[in-house]
Amino acid sequence: MKLKLSFVALLAAVLGTAPVNAAKIRVVTTLTDLADFARNVGGDQVEVRSLATGIEDTHGVPMKPSFVPLLNRADLVVLAGFDCEHAFLPALLDASRNPRIQLGQPGYVDCSKGIDPVEAPTSTDHSEGDVHPYGNPHYMLDPVMAKTAVSNICDAFVTAAPQYAADFKKNRDAYLAKLAAKIMEWKAEMAPYKGAKFVSYHEHWPYFAARFGLDYVGTIELKPGIDPTPRHIEELIGEMKAQHVPIVVREPQFPEKVPALIAKQTGATLIKLPIMPGGVPDTDTYIKEMDYIVNTMANALKK
Amino acid sequence: MAVLASALVSGTNLPAQETNQPIASRPAGEVEQLKRQLQQMQESFARQQAEQQKQIEALSKQIKALTKAQPAPTTIPSPPPANIAGATNTVTPDQFRWLSDKVDEVVAAQKKTLMSEFNPAIGLVGETIFSQQSKGSAQNGTGYAGGFDAYQRSVELNATAAVYPFAKGWVVANGSADAATGETSLGIEEAAVQTTSLPWNLTLTAGQFFGEFGRLSYIHDHELPFVNRPMVLDQYVGGESKTAGAQASLLLPIEHYVNLTAGLGTQLGDDPDAIGTYRSFGAVNYFGRLSTYFDLSDNWNVECGLSGLFNPDSGNVNGVLQPDGLTSLTATKRQVVDADFKLSYVPLRDNQFNSLTWGNEFLYSDNQYLATPTAGGSAYADTVGAWGMYSYLAYKWSRSWRAGFLFEYLQNDQDGAARTYGYSPYLTWAISHWNQLRLQYTHTQPNVASGIQPNDAVYLQWSWIIGSHSHGWTQR
Ligand SMILES: [Zn+2]
Repeated sequence: MKLKLSFVALLAAVLGTAPVNAAKIRVVTTLTDLADFARNVGGDQVEVRSLATGIEDTHGVPMKPSFVPLLNRADLVVLAGFDCEHAFLPALLDASRNPRIQLGQPGYVDCSKGIDPVEAPTSTDHSEGDVHPYGNPHYMLDPVMAKTAVSNICDAFVTAAPQYAADFKKNRDAYLAKLAAKIMEWKAEMAPYKGAKFVSYHEHWPYFAARFGLDYVGTIELKPGIDPTPRHIEELIGEMKAQHVPIVVREPQFPEKVPALIAKQTGATLIKLPIMPGGVPDTDTYIKEMDYIVNTMANALKK
Repeated sequence: MAVLASALVSGTNLPAQETNQPIASRPAGEVEQLKRQLQQMQESFARQQAEQQKQIEALSKQIKALTKAQPAPTTIPSPPPANIAGATNTVTPDQFRWLSDKVDEVVAAQKKTLMSEFNPAIGLVGETIFSQQSKGSAQNGTGYAGGFDAYQRSVELNATAAVYPFAKGWVVANGSADAATGETSLGIEEAAVQTTSLPWNLTLTAGQFFGEFGRLSYIHDHELPFVNRPMVLDQYVGGESKTAGAQASLLLPIEHYVNLTAGLGTQLGDDPDAIGTYRSFGAVNYFGRLSTYFDLSDNWNVECGLSGLFNPDSGNVNGVLQPDGLTSLTATKRQVVDADFKLSYVPLRDNQFNSLTWGNEFLYSDNQYLATPTAGGSAYADTVGAWGMYSYLAYKWSRSWRAGFLFEYLQNDQDGAARTYGYSPYLTWAISHWNQLRLQYTHTQPNVASGIQPNDAVYLQWSWIIGSHSHGWTQR
């Protein structure tokens, strides 16, 4: 009997049902920006883990089995949506054995709800490339659209723990107000560069460009997720020269060689921009990340 | 207020974005900030109105498509924004929200139709293998026709969908040609149902499926990291670990990943056992696997597993070999254990461009046979212990290119003295997720006892997917 009791105690310890965390909502986000939003909205009521550390590509977070126990115990999974996480999340959810966080359940928090994607493909096969099947999923790089994600997260928290609804809404409003102030700053900083042209490695920046009035000329990738052909690079260089494009953006998860070559051949400035918090050092929150992006872009355009 | 009302009309989701801060509940110190917000709201309103107008137009198109039974009007059926704005004085925010929710529902329904949520997700895999063997089909031991061959190994149709909220079902049908005769037959590789919501992290699978045994046995041909299934799996398991039966899988409810699977089936591998006779539970295949995973660092990790297969009374007449002094060898008991181990370097930052995999599987077969001596006399039980393995190293240095080297060794599971080894360098060009070319050279070197000749082969494999596909858990 004594043995049995201690076995139960051991099992309880192993299962992680320690009372300290019992009340907290367990949130797993795919990406670090979502984790930052979840922490800001959830405050002390949530325990947030992100699958990505920040340096990954949003389409290429490794499918680690160590994520499975995390997802197994999660109350909510928070994702960017538009199939951004197609390469790793569906299989992980399948393996998680957690019915609460499957597609269609309240624990499946798709932050793209309410976002109208750009570049929604016109065909239903893969002739338009690999990784943006429902339109461009990188809306988080527009801080105004990011507000929608924040609100979606808040709504999900309220559904999951209505007793804290007031707290969550207060936190959301405080964070949105902070973000709104930053948006004004960022807009002011980018205001002198309306119409400035740039290219990037992957199609991360249409929402960012639209928000700040930039002209997004093209990408080094042929199509999202598909490597450039030499002819495509040649055409891009020609286009950049013709249009006097001054900026080449490289997201740090992509190799430097081709962007550097293009920058050199066109005389453009090569800049490295993160696509989520943690992508480059000292950008561990969304606001710091956007600060970094706007400052780097503005500094490069100043020249 | 007019701005707010117009915003509510023109933007179905605008409240969440810009206008949902309860002003009355704000401390006075934030008034300045709110003023700034208001200014910013006004500033972005015009642009948002344009964006939302685009959305309205898209929705109108969708609605038109939905109601195409009616004659299409020549103008867009939604009223122009001016009209909406004009109507705002008489409509309450609640009504707007109701309207907004309705529109969201329509959009959601449209998306569902697009994603075929109510139909099975259907994908088709094609795989063609061009090969050149140095020996004829009777001597090369590969299963391929001798000399030159073009072989459509897979025309695989797979469909999967939820059966009801707590289970999903899938079917994999494959029309594949017999490598030697070229005769094509359509077969069902898998047709199974799997629970998705059982308590205790339990998953039950029933039907025909690839049972979890080892590491590469339950992966379809076209998903293998090289062209052919390792010889040891072909021989000890019987190719794919196809089974008809049931399997229970348990994810241990601990913080560390440990998965335990156990199943039973009337077959595991190529052929059903004990067909046409009375099958007792002693003649059923029992199999299972215990697997786990360790992060060695952010970028390095190890996965390993231990599997077992046991059929106490297999009754399987599969005596292909007739070792010296025997006329036949009938399997009576099937026992195989398997240890798999995979070390991977998957850099977090640029794993799409750079990775390294070292995969290994070791099998020990301890089958019991009924041996009939050529010289006459009564048959006797004979246990043959044999082991085999494969080990491969694959390096990826760009998004599209990978190279690997596979080494294989095995003792024949019916005659431990008949040994074969083989090696295969290969090069994979993943043109996209959906389209892949692979070039492989394979040398196999059996010893004399096997009766098979040393063989050199070159393979060019082209595989492609159309329709739905998933990055499955088992192929990770
Ligand atoms: Zn993308």
